[in-house]
Order: sequence, then C-alpha cells, then structure tokens
Amino acid sequence: MVNGYIATSLQEALEIRASHDVVPYAGGTDLMVENRQGVEYLFLNKVSELKKITADDEYVRIGAAVTFTEALANANVPQLMKEAVSRIAAPAIRNAGTFGGNLGNGSAKADSVLIEFVSDAKLRLVSKKGERMVDVDKFYLGRKKLDLGSDELIAEVLLPKKGLEQYSYEKVGGRNALAISRVSFAGVFAAENGRITNAAAAFGAVADTVLRYKDIETTLIGKTIDEAKAMKEDYLKAYAERMVLTRGRVSAEYRKNVCMNLLRDFLTKFGI
Amino acid sequence: MNEIRFTLNGKEVAYAGSATDRLLDVLRNEYRCTSVKCGCKEGECGACSVLIDGTLLNSCCVAMGAVEGASVVTMEGFRETKRFAALDKAFGELSAVQCGFCIPGMVLAAEALLSRNPHPSEDEIREGLSGNLCRCTGYNAIVNAVNNAAKEGNGLW
Repeated sequence: MVNGYIATSLQEALEIRASHDVVPYAGGTDLMVENRQGVEYLFLNKVSELKKITADDEYVRIGAAVTFTEALANANVPQLMKEAVSRIAAPAIRNAGTFGGNLGNGSAKADSVLIEFVSDAKLRLVSKKGERMVDVDKFYLGRKKLDLGSDELIAEVLLPKKGLEQYSYEKVGGRNALAISRVSFAGVFAAENGRITNAAAAFGAVADTVLRYKDIETTLIGKTIDEAKAMKEDYLKAYAERMVLTRGRVSAEYRKNVCMNLLRDFLTKFGI
Repeated sequence: MNEIRFTLNGKEVAYAGSATDRLLDVLRNEYRCTSVKCGCKEGECGACSVLIDGTLLNSCCVAMGAVEGASVVTMEGFRETKRFAALDKAFGELSAVQCGFCIPGMVLAAEALLSRNPHPSEDEIREGLSGNLCRCTGYNAIVNAVNNAAKEGNGLW
C-alpha cells in the first residue's frame, strides 16, 4: 500500500510503529482536516484489541480505537462521559471519532479529554518494549505536545468506575450541532457523612491544555457544606487569580467570565 | 498487492493511489461518484456523507487506507433501492429540495437514521440530520419529508 500500513493486531501495529515513521490513524476526523502532506498513516481501525470496552472492579477501560457512537451504546461508560460525547459534532463524526484520536490530537478542546481530566483518568500506553500507565494530566505537556514516544501507541483510557455520579457538564459552543467548544466545564462532586470528599473542576478549550487546580480543590476537602459556603467567595477568588487564559476564537475575558460562572453554578448545584 | 480493495455500490474495486488520499476526492475523481459533494473538507457540512458498512461517515474525513475491505455506498448505489424511492417521493412531495447540493448527504443520513430507528420522533430526525447543513430550505421541509418517508415506507426499514 502506498503511504500507509494496515495493522490487524496490536502486535503488528507496534512492530510497524517501532520500525517506521508513521502517524497513528484511528478515526481520521482530525487528521484529515489537518491533511498533513508527505506522511504515512498507520491504520488502527482493524486492531480489535483497541476496539474493546471492558470493566474491572476499579476502572472502565475504553480502547483507543473505540468510537464515540460505540461508547454511547455501552452500559459500562459513565453517564458524565456519555453526556460530553453525545454533544461532540454530529452523528457522522461520532461514528468515526475515537477516544485515542481525541487524546492524540493534543487539543485542549477535546470534549472526551476534559472528562478524563476531571475524573483523574489514566492512560495505558504500549510499545514493543512493554507498557506504562500515565495520568492524563501528565500526558499533556503543552499544546499539541504529548508524553508519547515515537514507538508508542495509546492503548486505552481507564476511567474510575465510582465517584462520577454527581457532576456538572457544560459545553459552550457557537451552535447546537457541529460545535467546537469555546469553553467547556466539567465538575465532579462527592461527599461522605456530610463532608466533602471531592470537588474536582476542569476547564476545557481556554488554554493550551485542559486546566485543573488540584491545590485549590483540596481546600474544600473535609469541609461541611456550610463551611464550604462560608468560604465560597474566597474559593472563587483563588480560581480567578490563578486562571490565566489565552485568546482563541473568543476573547480571554469572555472565556474567564464564562469559566467563573460555570464554576459558581457547579458549587451552587451541590448546595455550596 | 499494493492496491486498496473495497466494494463501491456493490462492485469490487481496487485503488492503486495513496492510502492518505481522501475518500471524497477518490469517489469524485476516480470513480465519478459526483453525488458526493465537497462542501467544507472539515467534517462540518455533511455534503460528502456516504455509508461505510452501513454507518454514516463524512467521506472528506476518511483516508483511503481506512476503507480497505469495506463496503462503500453513495447515492449512485442507494438510488437503486426501494428505500430510496420512498425518500425520493417524500422529498419531492414536500418540496424538500431547493438547490439540491446537500440532498445526497441528507438522504443518506436519513437512511442511516431509519435503518437504526424506523420510527423516529421529530427530535430524533433533527438529531440524525444534525451533521448535514442546508442553506436553502430551513430544514423543516426536509425533516417532514423524512417523517413522511418513515410512515409511508413502513416496513422498508
């Protein structure tokens, strides 16, 4: 085949990845828009090991070549992820677009990646030499910069099975369908015996990578709702001071206002 | 064995060009399937929609290497079916076609929807067609046509 390799197993894919300078091709929806010239693709759409969704006690494991449409039809995929994925583009793009591709494209606008950030997802990366696990926030080194070796492939996304039940998800786009996020927000909340155990907040499409400030989140952990309410304005102020946003399709000021409004709504939704 | 082999509208074909070529361009230029329209080359308009193994995809966002072994259906093939006849009649009766540029994609999106969900609600029709832009009709006539085709073509899907 001219300018391409079709792998039919993960092992074959890793052999090709290690011995040739190839661009991994899963769904193609970003790559074909980019339309890079003079490249060779490694087609992964026939690699069955990358097309499975499985679950163990701790994680739901979504294969890198699983499409968004397939995830929407799978009972193991958490509702929060389904909500985000159901709003990606339109049916034909969801039929092609994959979790691995959304990650590998390296954009902070990737709607499934926002959910991976807020839920502390892990990624399993594989190569001929073996495999390693990496936290999704460590995988993103900057805009379009990923911690992925030239011989490695993303194998699967590991989403925690528990703790994602209470959430907020908002996507602000220019239109209902086929919208690229201008600002996206996901928050996950949990409390036990009246005390907050998780208040994760992630912001997409507003900087080079998805943003999360775990040190600010930590200040709510262990607090009662009333205690959290009392410190709400200081909490929001801490975010406002830290958040340095870039201009994109819309101004940095607009993005920041929307982020802060969505964060406030998230706290309010859970009684804070 | 360098060629990419696939089925196009039921006929086996072999493509000897680059695996990185766009399916959209190859369908139009190599196989003269000019029902497949190029609107944006970004997956944002749906004018180039085709069915690959029965699934609706934007052919502008598919590289040739990804269709090896697949069955590709364009309007040139779909128009030979009874389902097409039902959609054709409904679109005609409701004047759902003006300039016509988006229609091959709309009809294939309708086919993809109805083959999964033979009796869709209006919301489901709008969702099913949400990746296909029309700049003439304002969509209502198209949505109504798909609704009528589903009713009158009862049993076809």
